[in-house]
Amino acid sequence: MSWARTLALALRTLRRNPLRSLFMLLGVAVGIASLVAMASVGEATRQETMRQFKRMVGTFDRISIQPGSARTRGMPSLTSVEPTLRFEDADAIRAEVPNVRRVSREQSAFDIDVQARDKTATTSIWGISAEWMEIRGDDVTVGRGISPEDVETLARVAVIGEDLRKELFPDEDPIGKTIRIAEVPFTVQGVLVPRGAGPGGSSLDNLLLMPVSTASKRLFNRDYLTTITVQLEDPARYEQAVAAITALLRERHGIVPPVEDNFTVSNPRAAMEQVQEVDTTLSAVLVGIAVIATLIGGVVIMSLMLIAVSERRREIGVRRAVGATRADVLRQFLVEAALISALGGIVGVLLGVAGATVAAFQQQLSPVFLWGAMGGAVGLATLIGLVFGLQPAWRAANVDPIQALRA
Amino acid sequence: MIELEHVVKTYQREDGTPVPALRDITCRIGAGEFVTIRGSSGSGKSSLLNILGCLDTPTSGAYRLGGEDVSRYTDQERSAVRARRIGFVFQAFNLLPRTTAVENVEVPALYSGGDVDRGKALALLKRVGLAERSNHFVTELSGGEQQRVAIARALMNSPPLLLADEPTGNLDSAVGDSIMELLTDLNREGLTIVLVTHDERVASYAARELLIRDGVLASDRAQPRRPSLHAATEGAAHVVG
Repeated sequence: MSWARTLALALRTLRRNPLRSLFMLLGVAVGIASLVAMASVGEATRQETMRQFKRMVGTFDRISIQPGSARTRGMPSLTSVEPTLRFEDADAIRAEVPNVRRVSREQSAFDIDVQARDKTATTSIWGISAEWMEIRGDDVTVGRGISPEDVETLARVAVIGEDLRKELFPDEDPIGKTIRIAEVPFTVQGVLVPRGAGPGGSSLDNLLLMPVSTASKRLFNRDYLTTITVQLEDPARYEQAVAAITALLRERHGIVPPVEDNFTVSNPRAAMEQVQEVDTTLSAVLVGIAVIATLIGGVVIMSLMLIAVSERRREIGVRRAVGATRADVLRQFLVEAALISALGGIVGVLLGVAGATVAAFQQQLSPVFLWGAMGGAVGLATLIGLVFGLQPAWRAANVDPIQALRA
Repeated sequence: MIELEHVVKTYQREDGTPVPALRDITCRIGAGEFVTIRGSSGSGKSSLLNILGCLDTPTSGAYRLGGEDVSRYTDQERSAVRARRIGFVFQAFNLLPRTTAVENVEVPALYSGGDVDRGKALALLKRVGLAERSNHFVTELSGGEQQRVAIARALMNSPPLLLADEPTGNLDSAVGDSIMELLTDLNREGLTIVLVTHDERVASYAARELLIRDGVLASDRAQPRRPSLHAATEGAAHVVG
């Protein structure tokens, strides 16, 4: 029997047994739908994580140095860190380490009360170098950022995040207004472009920037840093830069291994890789679940086909009696399985796309569709039909026509 | 047409003990004959029919169909013989469910290597008196109509030989007679028919009767043809069938 005729016969059989066909189709469709949806959601999550990470840390050309050993956790604050990282360390890095483009010295403190006239807010305060904004890729919506002159002159100026602006100056232009921190007055000279939520879900816009010199001498009265941020000329050679900085700081701090470093050098690339690793594991688990669902679809096909074969023994006997070979019967059942599985695959892809769209909408992600993978999913469905249809088809082909036709 | 020489068929029980079904059958059936094989249940007539229909092979002995020894053919070769040279009619009709009359008639053409000729299928349905029922599903047809469809199906590939296994067994006698009349007509048109039955009345339509008993040919005799009831049964087929 020709392939075209086998296909036509399979179509007719599937059409004339709508209930069985529907269940076979659904068995495959559910698996493929979950596969497509999981893959899409996984990819959307991955892309969104990348985006958020980039938004949080800017570009991947930066190395940050913080006081304390690598075991120190959390954001470094003036109240929590050892006073080991000095302003001079930053200058030395700028002067001696090759491949350095910019260096920012930072002092940060959290949960600080600030006031503007009658309003009070709690925010984090960052004393920064003028390079900070360029390193971070930050900009202002109004006014201006922290300039080298501001740092030079210990100017009492502040640049505030959007959240702080809303709290302290909900209905007025904040530029030129005064904010008091521990009774020290600062003049607002700029508002930062909002960054939105960080990966933890908290806002990145509740902060106040001022010159690091002002913070050190006029506000906190501390001469150590919480972070040095180094921007590289060539991010590809970050490993050499990390090694050079580590060596330099050990020398300056008089550390000889195995004595533990009293500073930690890290870079966003490593952090990004960690995030991606977690992400990949999650995606792998999701896809694994979907693969199992797809295999269950195959088992559904197989069991329904086995039932069909025993129901259709007489039909098989008749076909054999009028001249069908075993190969004809095998092919007929295999083509039926492959055809319904392929249709199930197409339906599954449509359901999966719909599911991924809904999921993306709920998670406020932009849906990502891997069209190539969807073609692959239909192919996979067909393959599953063939593989799981093989045993029932084999059984059908080996039905003894004499037994089957016995009245 | 058919030559059997010392055909023996022995089945094996599960414990390995041999069960003889056909002990030693030798006979010839010429082209254009209408022969019944009669015997009681367990006499071996079904085994003989399975071998004649190339559904089974003899344990020993030779079966020549049209001069060709088909008794040692492979499964695939026997499929080809069944497709082109043998038509089957069964007691239980064995039409495919969820399939129309004309689609049932076409089934053998799927396996004969040629094209599926819908015109021929419709002509055959007309020949068996079911021109108006060709697009009806099997479940919408009466028993007699189903058996007519089955006869049309058996003729689809124009085989020279038609094998019928108790073709009237599931029909009441009037309808059964009309089926026998149809077979008799087809025989007159040149079709060789071998019909298995335990029913003497059905056997009486044939010109020759082989009697099987305990796996051997007990008698082989010519008999006068039953007088034709053609006119009467043709009418009955329309009323009852």
